[in-house]
Formats: sequence, C-alpha cells, structure tokens
Amino acid sequence: MKIALEALNKHFGKVKAVDNLDLEIGDGEFVALLGPSGCGKTTTLLMLAGIYKPTSGHICFDDRVVNHLLPKERNIGMVFQSYALYPHMTTFDNIAYPLKLKRVRRKEMKERVQRSADMMGIGDLLDRKPAQLSGGQQQRVALARALVKEPAILLFDEPLSNLDAKLRLRMRGEIKRLQEDLGVTAVYVTHDQVEAMTMASRIAVMNYGVLQTYGTPNQLYNHPDTLFVAGFIGAPPMNFLEMTFEERDNGFYLKTQALEIRISAERGALAKQNNVPQRVIMGIRPENVSIVAEQDPDFKAEVYLIEPLGREDLVTFRFVDEEIRALVPAPFDGRIGETICLKLDKEKAHLFNPETEVSVLRTGNGRSS
Amino acid sequence: MLRPKVKPVLAYLVLIVPSSLIILGFLWLLITSFSTRVEGLQSLGWTLNNWRFLWESPFGPQYPSIWAVTLNTLVMSLIMTLIVVVVSSLTGYALSRMKFPGRKGFLSLTLILHAFPSVTLLIPIYFVLLQIAKIPLIGRDVPLLGGFGYNTIGGVALVMVAFQLPFGIWIMKGFFDNISWDMERSALIDGASRFKVWWQIIMPNIKPGIAALSIFSFLTAWNAYLIPLTFTAGRAGKSAVLSLYLQNFISESVMTEWNAVAAVGLFQLVPVVLFFLFTQEALLNIYGGGKKGGV
Repeated sequence: MKIALEALNKHFGKVKAVDNLDLEIGDGEFVALLGPSGCGKTTTLLMLAGIYKPTSGHICFDDRVVNHLLPKERNIGMVFQSYALYPHMTTFDNIAYPLKLKRVRRKEMKERVQRSADMMGIGDLLDRKPAQLSGGQQQRVALARALVKEPAILLFDEPLSNLDAKLRLRMRGEIKRLQEDLGVTAVYVTHDQVEAMTMASRIAVMNYGVLQTYGTPNQLYNHPDTLFVAGFIGAPPMNFLEMTFEERDNGFYLKTQALEIRISAERGALAKQNNVPQRVIMGIRPENVSIVAEQDPDFKAEVYLIEPLGREDLVTFRFVDEEIRALVPAPFDGRIGETICLKLDKEKAHLFNPETEVSVLRTGNGRSS
Repeated sequence: MLRPKVKPVLAYLVLIVPSSLIILGFLWLLITSFSTRVEGLQSLGWTLNNWRFLWESPFGPQYPSIWAVTLNTLVMSLIMTLIVVVVSSLTGYALSRMKFPGRKGFLSLTLILHAFPSVTLLIPIYFVLLQIAKIPLIGRDVPLLGGFGYNTIGGVALVMVAFQLPFGIWIMKGFFDNISWDMERSALIDGASRFKVWWQIIMPNIKPGIAALSIFSFLTAWNAYLIPLTFTAGRAGKSAVLSLYLQNFISESVMTEWNAVAAVGLFQLVPVVLFFLFTQEALLNIYGGGKKGGV
C-alpha cells in the first residue's frame, strides 16, 4: 500500500511537533524516520496509526484520505519499543487478540497464530506469559502479533532500542528480511542512524518537526543536503571546519589560518552558482582524511588522541585552534604529540552556507553533488 | 556510629513499645469477653455469658438481633464497595487518559473534598436524605437495602460512597497512570474499541488496585460509626449496623456491662482480622508502586 503525507501538521498547544510534512512512501517500501528524540518522528508514526489526529493536512493510503479512520479501520500492524504486550494474557492470547476482535473462527485463529509464531521462531512459547519471556522473545511476540492480521502497513516505533547490542544486530537483519519476504510497506522510527542506514530503502531525516531530507542511505551519506544531516548521519561524525572561499588565478580555494586547499573547477563553479558566501563550513568525513608522507601534504597536525576501533584507528589531530578526526588503517604507529602530515580527499568535501545550513554543492535537482 | 548489631535491636525496641500498647488492648478485650470480671489482664472467672447476644436478644424483641444487624452491615459495606469501585475505576480512567476541559479543576476539587471534614456536612445531608426518602420506588421499602433515603441501609451506603469517592478516584487514577500508553495504543490498533481496551486490557492489569480499593472501602464501611449513627434511627431501628449495636450496652440508666461490650466489639472485629490476614498484601499495594503483584 502506498502512503502519502500532504502538508501534515500536528500541534500540541504552541508546540509544532510536526511541521508541514510532505512525504511519499511507495508500495512495499521500507522507510525509516530518523532524528533525535523530540523531532516529531514518533508523532508522525502515531498519526499514521490513527492514534493522533493531525491538526491539518492529509494522510492518504493508496490515494484514499484516511484522516478520519479509526486505528482499527486502517489495517496496520505496529510494534512498540516497550513491546506493549498484554501482561495478563499468554503468548497465544496476545497474538490471537487482533483475530479475536475480528471474530475469526477458532480453528482458523489457531492456525494463523501458530503460523506467525512459527515464522518468528516462538512457536513453542505459546502458553507462556510475557513476564516469563526474555526481551528478545517478547519482541518476537510483538512482531507476531503485528503480523498475524496480515496488515497492509507495518509501523515500528524504535523496536530494537530495548535489546542488547548483539540481539539488536540479529533482529535488524530478521526484520529487514521479513519485510522483504512479505513485501509489506513499512515505516520504521529510530534515532539510530546505523539502523536507518542498514534497514531502510529510503530515510526521512527530521529535526524540530521539520523534514530535513528524504533519500536513499547512499544519497544521505555521500551527498547530504544540510549541515544537520551531514552531522547526524555517519559514525564517527563528519569533521566541520570554518573556512574562507576564494576564487583567484582561475582556481577555487578554501582557506583557514593553517591550511589552504584547492578544489576542482567544477565544484567551485557549482558552489559559485549556488551563491556561496565568503565564509563557509567545510565538512569532511574521517575516512576522507589520510596520512601521507612528507611530500605534498595539505597540512600538518599534532596527534591528540588515538582510539583503536579494531579494523581502523580513530585519531584526533589538533592544528592551531582546530581539531580534525581521521580514520586510519590500524595499527596507527604515531605517538601523542607527534606532528603528522595529512591530506584531504577534496572531491569528498562538503560545503555549507553557515547562515542557511544548506549545501552549496547542490545540483539543479536539489541533490548536492 | 552504632555497631551493626545494635541497630536492629534498637529498631525492634522502637517497634515493640508502641505495638505492645495495642496488643495489650486486644488481649484485654479477648480476656474480658470470656470473664465475669477482670483485674488487669487477669480473669476472675471464665464464662460464656457475655456471648449470649449471639443466640438471644438481650434487650427484648423490639430490638433487632445481632444477625440482622450483621446482615445490615454486610449489605451496606458490599453496596458501598461495589459503587465506589465501579465509579472510581471509570472516573479514574477518564482522568488518567482523556483530555477534557475542567480536568485539572476536577482533580483538585476531588482532593479538597477528600480533605473536607465530613462532620460539617451532616446536617445538609440529613435534609437531602429526607427528600430522597420521598422519591417513589428508590426512596424506601426496597428489599434488603430499605431504600436510599433517610434511615435506610442504602441511604447510609450512598453517603459513605460520596465521602469515599474522592479517595477512590485518586487511587484508581494513580493505578491507571502506571499503565503504559503503548499497551492501550497497541490494543486500539489491534482493533479494540475504547470500552474494550478499558475492560479487556486495562482493568485486568490494575487488579491489585481494584483489590486494594475494595478492601479499603469495605473496611471503612464496616467500621463506620458517625454516618450510620446520624442517618439511621440508631440502635433500635431496623437499619442498625454493628457499630451502633454496641450502644445497646451503654446506657445511662443501667450499669454498663463492659464484658458484653468487649464480646460484641470482638465479634465486630473478627471479619476484619480475617480480611486482613488474607488481603494485607493487596492492601499494601495502595501505597506501593501499584504495578507490583500485578501480571
């Protein structure tokens, strides 16, 4: 089922929890709503579920406005962070509850409950109460309950946040696979950018109730539209340096007190076309900062901190008043205090207007290059 | 710093002194009710005479028997408990879950009412009950209850309900507040109506709260004195309750039979003690976290 949100608003008193949201979700797509806590992503999800009524705007399922429909009329399944199992019912009764309300016949109900429980690997736990299950098992019961009514849309509200790291990784894969197998449209709310990146076909990043950007994980990672998205997506986070943009001798330069880099004519022209201001914020990901031999460095910096990550080491360098972090192949053999030559991959650098916080490397179609 | 061994001893001492005062009182009651006379805690002769009221009316046939009075007390307590629990859980749910104008005002008003001394309202309530008595069908002559007007079991229960409700509503609201919104939302999405959510999902999860409030209300009604005294014709009337029955033994013209008073007092106490023995855990819930003992 397709979902379309048109100029959707939700106000709680004076607070604009969701501000003029437009979003389209294709049939069978897996979309993540990503953002820090309080950004309006859960509010959006609850409006999709029919728990909250929008202040204004439309919610359409397959071109049909559903604003006025009750939750039970929307044919959705939802999984909550707290699992929201009914503690006084057995696993069987929990999963069967949606079917009981639909007055499905006893025999069919039993079959369907067993089928979705088996699908989630909890077929032998049906007579237990939720309190007798582990967190991971409870989450599977919640999933089975959401799936048993064969919904057209699955909603997830941070379903993995309460699980331990290892289990989270496993469930992540299982949910993604399940969604692909069933081909059901899924909306997944999370504050964890890794979860969003790994699971979703498209990610909608929200902040302060406003949609920041909407695109594939690749687009968001490689061509972030705004400063917020650039900083929010990616771990370790992108480095930001305040620099001066200059055009001279038929070339484009970025300057600070300690370093000057030349960027390609193509990118410089694009920035100029987008009215780049003189002061810009340059963003570069730690993996695009590399250590080079003595000749031809972009700049030199002092090793300040070394954080081994196993496959790579995360090294923080200091130069003048600035700090920059680099992911370098492990083991990094420098010592703290040592001066090292560094080079930046200029083609991977991002430029943002500090006033509007928007990328100045956007091409005509709105996507930054 | 006290040494670790001294500390619990001190704690026990602090607990033993005040509780022994109460225990001594009950002990005296027990001994007295089976004695002809007592000197301190020492019986000067054992007898069952004080318990005569169980099988014969000691004050003549115009007075109701102890069993009629006990039945009255039971009916009044059960009626009051039932109404308090039903109304409190509906109101508590609405106050906990729904937004409506006047919600805050209503909550603080209930709290003020809870703090209101009931004595000040006795006279106006008396007039209200007199008016209710005039209403046909429910005013008077209802079997078992008598009705809801003046000098009826139902009337007394009604007044008790009014005084108990603010407390009940706050307690129930607290229990509802502890139930996560997600569970309710989940049920709505699963296809339940608001009423079904309340009845099938929420209510089973606040059973400890219902149990606690029921016990508390029942005990309050069972032990009530002032309200039954004011709104019935007293010990002689057909609506007398146990606490009033005691009065039969205390009069100005005849010497008070304290041994019989002790026996009746003990008789009134027995159900309370039994109740406590079986329900104290649930009762603790009312001041505890609420969720404990649930599931």
